[in-house]
Amino acid sequence: MGRRLVRAVKKYYVAYLFISVPVIGMVVFLFIPMISSLALSFCDWSGIQSPTFVGLANYRKLLFDDPKLIQAFINTTIFVILGQGSGPIFGLISALALNQKIRFRAGFRTIYFLPYMTSMVVVATIWKMIYSQGGLLNAALGGLGLPTTRWLTNPNTALLAIIVASVWQGFGFETVIFLAALQAIPREFYEAAMIDGANAWNRFWHVTLPGLRPIILMVYIIGIIGSYQVFDQIYVMTGGGPLNTTQSIVGHLFSNFTYMKFGYASAIAYILFAILALFSYLQIRFFGREE
Amino acid sequence: MMGMGASRIRLLKWGGQTALYLALIVTSIAMLMPFYWMVSTSLKPEADVFVTPPKWIPNPITFVHYLEVWTRLPFARFFYNSVFVAAMTTIGDVFFATLAGYAFAKLKFPGRDQIFFIMLLTLMVPFQVNMIPLYKLMDRFKWLDTYWALIVPGALSVFGIYLMRQYILSIPDELLDSARVDGCSEFIIFWRIAAPLSLPGIATLAIFTFVGSWTSFLWPMIVTSSMEMRTLPVGIALLQGYHTTNWTQNMAGSTIAAMPMIAVFLLMQQQFIEGLTAGAVKQ
Repeated sequence: MGRRLVRAVKKYYVAYLFISVPVIGMVVFLFIPMISSLALSFCDWSGIQSPTFVGLANYRKLLFDDPKLIQAFINTTIFVILGQGSGPIFGLISALALNQKIRFRAGFRTIYFLPYMTSMVVVATIWKMIYSQGGLLNAALGGLGLPTTRWLTNPNTALLAIIVASVWQGFGFETVIFLAALQAIPREFYEAAMIDGANAWNRFWHVTLPGLRPIILMVYIIGIIGSYQVFDQIYVMTGGGPLNTTQSIVGHLFSNFTYMKFGYASAIAYILFAILALFSYLQIRFFGREE
Repeated sequence: MMGMGASRIRLLKWGGQTALYLALIVTSIAMLMPFYWMVSTSLKPEADVFVTPPKWIPNPITFVHYLEVWTRLPFARFFYNSVFVAAMTTIGDVFFATLAGYAFAKLKFPGRDQIFFIMLLTLMVPFQVNMIPLYKLMDRFKWLDTYWALIVPGALSVFGIYLMRQYILSIPDELLDSARVDGCSEFIIFWRIAAPLSLPGIATLAIFTFVGSWTSFLWPMIVTSSMEMRTLPVGIALLQGYHTTNWTQNMAGSTIAAMPMIAVFLLMQQQFIEGLTAGAVKQ
């Protein structure tokens, strides 16, 4: 037994050494925090005294007794639906356009992709200026004789303004992904469809879309998970206001964190986790198979 | 009749092409305009920021806002922090992810597939779930407001290990085996054969990690508290609280933060796009 162990250690220690740093890191920076956070979500803790167990009180509060969280959940869901309802579609349309025989394809692709390379804080700062009262958008609208407003302090427009800026920042990612996927669809498929007399719409519906299916699934899983965690641009552009109309789930979590309500903030984090897990499961379940 | 038809088709095609280029050019302008406005505003006198009609070309051009943010505000420090943190995070991540990716791809050991599977599962967990205990852990380590907190948690990336494993899987085993027969140690094989052959993968991971660290906001904001430790995004976001109306300085700071990434992207575009789309094309 002992000798076998020694022999096994001798044989395998190099491999374990190679993975040791990431594995230890994973335990210390991922597993332990994940479990602590689950435990914390059943506690009341301000970070100074030791946590006190409160059972399901945090979860009861977030479900029934925190209208700001409900509001944040609704705002975030609107952000996800409108953002994911438009961003990937712009990405697909621009990829289809760039997949034609055109010049400067790489140049256009670069231009669409540039905002994705830029820090969200910078993007949000630029748009905050464009949306401000004397900003470029109002100047353009005023010049056309259209009504103007303070886009980010008007409760009716603030969330929409944030969504527009976010879609502007992100859809180039989808353009690049979809363009690569389009170019990977074999030409013969299109030629065969042409011989069968399929028109452009039929070719798109029966060749292009099925060819893109796994990528569309991937783009939406990544997109929905990412957008449900929206924080940076809202923090910069509105701070969650006006009247909480743009507060997101992570924004609400963050404000509880800054008030040192660590137990309650952990419960919010786990609810967010549950939402994301559920969405990913449903998407893979309903759109991932059939191949 | 035949000639008429052909010329009509040609005309239609020409119209379609023109419409396509027009749409591409208009959207490209919409994509570039905010960047142009950022740079243009950063070069204007403060009084010219919100004039009607908007001043498209700054006149006179002034670089005073860059001088201000660089010397009076701590942007030189923010810039240094961002560079240092992103560089260290990238070096750490690339080295350990490639080493572990090599082990998962090419070495056999008990528990290999189980450990790898558990690692992949953690990709599902949103960062916010770990954030609070991780913050308290940094506190316990006395790492708050130091580079350690900014670098170490970010240098661990399961995605990186996954990426490098996939890349290294494509290296032929015979190449490694012949080196083993020659008596090379496993680390030498990794360092001399596997790592150089995975350079394109390493470059992809390096760019992703660097950009991710450079643009990261929430974590650097909560673990730093002194001005000396802020990174560029945190600095830009927090200075808006104090200088709400000072758009010229804000735009100068934003330009300083945006330009290096745009330059990196323009230089390493091919690498970046290939890395990003590798998964898309393989399927």
